[in-house]
Amino acid sequence: MWNFCSLFKNDCQMMLAGKFFLVAFGSLMIYTLFINFGYVNFMNAELYNVYLFDPKGTQQGISELIYPVTSLEELNMALSTDANGVGIDASSGTPDIVFYFGSEKADNHRTDYALSLLRQGSQYTAQIVGENTPELKQRKEMSCELLFIEIIAVGFLGIAAVLFKEKQMGVIRVHAVLPFHKNLFIVSKIMVFLLSDLIFAALMTVLNVGFHEAAGILPDVLVQTTILSLIMALMGFGCTMLLKDFRQFSLAYLVIAIFAATPVFLSANTSVKMAWIGWHPFYHVYMGLKNAYFGMPVTNPVYYLFFACGIAILFQIVQKAFHKEMGKEG
Amino acid sequence: MIEVKNLTFSYGRDKQALHGLNFTVGNGEIFGFLGPNGSGKSTTQKILTGILKGHGGYASLFGQDISTAHTQDLYRKIGVLFEFPYLYANLSAVDNLKYFSSFYPVKQLRDIGEILEKLEFKADFMKKPVSSYSKGMRQRVSMARALISSPELLFLDEPTSGLDPSGAVLFRKIIEEERKKGTTVFLTTHNMLDADLLCDRVAFMTNGNIVALDTPKRLKEQNSNHRVRIDYLYQGRCEEKVMEMPELERGIPFRHDEIISIHSEEPTLEDIFIQYTGRGLS
Repeated sequence: MWNFCSLFKNDCQMMLAGKFFLVAFGSLMIYTLFINFGYVNFMNAELYNVYLFDPKGTQQGISELIYPVTSLEELNMALSTDANGVGIDASSGTPDIVFYFGSEKADNHRTDYALSLLRQGSQYTAQIVGENTPELKQRKEMSCELLFIEIIAVGFLGIAAVLFKEKQMGVIRVHAVLPFHKNLFIVSKIMVFLLSDLIFAALMTVLNVGFHEAAGILPDVLVQTTILSLIMALMGFGCTMLLKDFRQFSLAYLVIAIFAATPVFLSANTSVKMAWIGWHPFYHVYMGLKNAYFGMPVTNPVYYLFFACGIAILFQIVQKAFHKEMGKEG
Repeated sequence: MIEVKNLTFSYGRDKQALHGLNFTVGNGEIFGFLGPNGSGKSTTQKILTGILKGHGGYASLFGQDISTAHTQDLYRKIGVLFEFPYLYANLSAVDNLKYFSSFYPVKQLRDIGEILEKLEFKADFMKKPVSSYSKGMRQRVSMARALISSPELLFLDEPTSGLDPSGAVLFRKIIEEERKKGTTVFLTTHNMLDADLLCDRVAFMTNGNIVALDTPKRLKEQNSNHRVRIDYLYQGRCEEKVMEMPELERGIPFRHDEIISIHSEEPTLEDIFIQYTGRGLS
């Protein structure tokens, strides 16, 4: 246990020295700013402003969202400065819609919306069938996508950066003759990255989905994050041991990014359908993560058994590659 | 301490690195393992330190078969100095030693400051990162790492490489002191001077075989032509004569005014190595 603490502390120091935590924190900030001030705003168009000219007061029970104007000149002036706005000229007693042309579908919507504000008095009832508001849905979707990218890209590159440094310095060979079980070296590295990814996932979810909503989905999100993080950290470890230098690793990374992540994103988030995607393990992890965000965690034990076996096999490969590296010449 | 019988090792099917080595190293002995690059020295050391698995034959450390003996207990008793100074470049000498020593029981650890001082490490560099050290300084920190756990068996691979002459003298002194404490030293080197000055016995390796194994003195005696070369002055002229040793038993048997020098024609270890292996050490 003491040996593990020494290794773990040293790995944390190496990651601090390599500014890994800083990069992860920077990514978290950028993703959070993007979701909160970019993505959600882009996707949610502002309501149209509606201006009413009604000198005779013919319209009763109008919405508070309507801006009254006192003359036609004032109405024209308002529309010229607010091109998306909708004007209602009720000087003749019947409301006539006035606006600058946008597009046919949008203009129909603008008309309906403006007229609906004139009939605010009519009550309606609606049955609430779910609490995933469009904004919350967008927040969850984007948090899931960015978390997946972070673990696949930044985490994977992070472990490689730390291990290539140790490989270059030759210190991996020194560990071969130190009195501790050699698997601890691998476990310590994987644990550092796993913990880092779990903290990242928790913060990402709380900051972008909200504390109340996050409390309900976080356990399932963390389970899926653990699966993905272990796979990526072990793959990163294995590639670092087997490949000669960071340049070769970058090529391997490109292959993983292009052939592993891209089809998953395309299949899961667009209308592109690939028949073989069901055989892609990352697709299942991504869907597992996405479902966890939407409160529908994977319950099929075969899923967990499959990934447990996969992680165990990856660990065996990493173990072999690590022992090979320890036996290499200087 | 070390016993090796018919040790073989192969890197793949057609790359036989060791062809049945046999030797023993006694407690408190400094055993030199000499050979050119690719002769199998490092492979032997890696097998003995448990880094390489899958050897043939038998090898034991501390009386335990190494196939089963590389447990944590055994690693606590050995210290290894690698050919290159493998250290964390971002950490200082003190932090490196603190980290590596954290794997050993506290009671067997030596004081970091004391050991660095003994190795004449510059005090003002102790807390600077290793990346700012010269090769000699890194080698000193590596030696400190190998010695910090007070090992009973030391594996030293080219210990004086990268050191200036005074550093090499210091390292030899330290190795000698370790032996006096009872530490056994397995010294792998190209350096014939180190081997000659330090080793109780040396083994010459070539192409995965031990071609000679004895004390440096006996190897030199056995391969000597038992002649001496005498430089002398006679009637104002400087002359030289080579004689068989027995001829000198009754004194110098020729006329001379002054003896300038007497040189034994004893071969150096390097001469003997070339004689046995047909190749140099580089």
